[in-house]
Amino acid sequence: MDIAHLAARAAEAPDSPGQRLLRRVEAEELQRQHIVQRNTALGRVAFGITLLASWELASGPILDQFFVSKPSHIAAALWDMLVKETLLYHLQFTILEAVSGYLIGAGGGLVLGFVLARLDLVYRIVEPFVVAFYGIPRIALAPLFILWFGIGITSKIAVAAILVFFIVFINTIAGIRSAPTQFLQIARVMGASEWDLVRKVVFPAATPFIIAALQITVPQAMIGAIVGEFISSNRGVGHLISRAAGFLDTAGLFAGIFALLVVVLAMNQGITVLGNYLMRWNPKHGTVRDVS
Amino acid sequence: MSGVEPVIEARDVFKIFVARADRGRQRAFLALQHVNLTITPGRFVSFVGPSGCGKSTLLNMIAGLVRPTEGEVMYKGRPVTSVNTEVGYITQDDNLLPWRTLQENVEVALEFRGVLEAERRERAARYIAMVGLNGFEHHYPHELSGGMRKRTALIRTLIYEPSVVLMDEPFGPLDAQTRVILQDELLRVWEGSGKTIAFVTHDLVEAIALSDEIVLFSRAPGTIKRVYQVPIDRPRDVFHIHAHPQFPAFYDRLWRDLKDEIAEIALGAT
Repeated sequence: MDIAHLAARAAEAPDSPGQRLLRRVEAEELQRQHIVQRNTALGRVAFGITLLASWELASGPILDQFFVSKPSHIAAALWDMLVKETLLYHLQFTILEAVSGYLIGAGGGLVLGFVLARLDLVYRIVEPFVVAFYGIPRIALAPLFILWFGIGITSKIAVAAILVFFIVFINTIAGIRSAPTQFLQIARVMGASEWDLVRKVVFPAATPFIIAALQITVPQAMIGAIVGEFISSNRGVGHLISRAAGFLDTAGLFAGIFALLVVVLAMNQGITVLGNYLMRWNPKHGTVRDVS
Repeated sequence: MSGVEPVIEARDVFKIFVARADRGRQRAFLALQHVNLTITPGRFVSFVGPSGCGKSTLLNMIAGLVRPTEGEVMYKGRPVTSVNTEVGYITQDDNLLPWRTLQENVEVALEFRGVLEAERRERAARYIAMVGLNGFEHHYPHELSGGMRKRTALIRTLIYEPSVVLMDEPFGPLDAQTRVILQDELLRVWEGSGKTIAFVTHDLVEAIALSDEIVLFSRAPGTIKRVYQVPIDRPRDVFHIHAHPQFPAFYDRLWRDLKDEIAEIALGAT
């Protein structure tokens, strides 16, 4: 029984035994969901604390502190970097590289994917080349990009962009090909123009694919920026990390990784909010559960 | 005919499809041959015949989605050479857009046709009320039952008031009760509207209950074997159509003619 029927029934006779049962089950269901949510949140906090505590306690007696550091030292290193303003200074370059690379790669992948998916012959011609290019480990292009664009931020943006581009591009094409072909025909009979079809049918059909690609590629953009910085740079969190490694400063190294983690999580959250909005029609967002 | 201009006319239509067969070889097959048909305005006409006999292909030609290989399909006296936006098309799958609410789905054709929002709202409300879907305007398709989705697909097409409605097994996937209820609703919406309906079905009872005329197709390559006038007055009672005195004899005759076509496929006989 779907929710629409439940709603229709509810409008009928508010005081029948069936309606009272329905309201009770609804209240219980809300209560149950509330408990699940609370337990999930509590469990996460407990898991995180356990993880950090065992790390803290194991580091020294069981594990060599030189290699794994410990959370208290990492926190101290983070604080130190914050007050000396080195962290934010380096972070701004890394964020600039990752975000620019992400926007360029995702934008290019979307536009080119859209164009190519609509030009059948062109797509047939270039498809094997795209697949071949997709097959090479793109991170191996990083040294080449540094050669081309120098050791400034441009080369890092290029590495981040190429990592993002292909995933968004291929997913966009797959998404557009998933548009409902029978409805496209019916829509033409209804009088739809090509532009109507793209805007009202093809693009919405492709959004689940595009959103998935936009989520997957957030860490990719960061990988591109950091790897670029590893290879050659004098600023950025990648530079900070590799310098810390050079000084055998594991606490500083972990502090850099932690900073990256926070940035990626924030970027991911933004994409998730966008995705939930665009996909609010999707049955997987807020499904109706069978009540037995 | 009797001076009435036909709305749809097929003149010696042939259709050949090219399909990709095994080992990449191209294989062409004849889907329709010598199809001649005249449909006058306001008639409810059903196409019946064995699977794969080209009934749906003929609908696609009237809609301008498929072109005849030879011959002509005429719409209001002119050959159909591009997509025919004067007709409405309802398929077996409801093809509702999952990202649009019921009301937005109902309004989609009006959006394509550039109707302003206020008028879209007003017309959608009228059609939604006509099939009793009030209260569900803001539900998404996955929140609706099969019958509600089908009603939505029906009014989504009727809302732009096409003078001809093509229906390709529209009630096929529904359960038996919902199907009869929807047949009844379709007749009530159609009667007095002056619209022409071309309706493909495999269900002879459905064809008899709804139609003025039944066009029987032969097995593939499809050609029109016979056209019958349904000897039952309107308004019809679809719930008790089998109890009508004319029903048994007419059904038997139709079934005997159709059975010949099916039996020859089943037995592989000459």
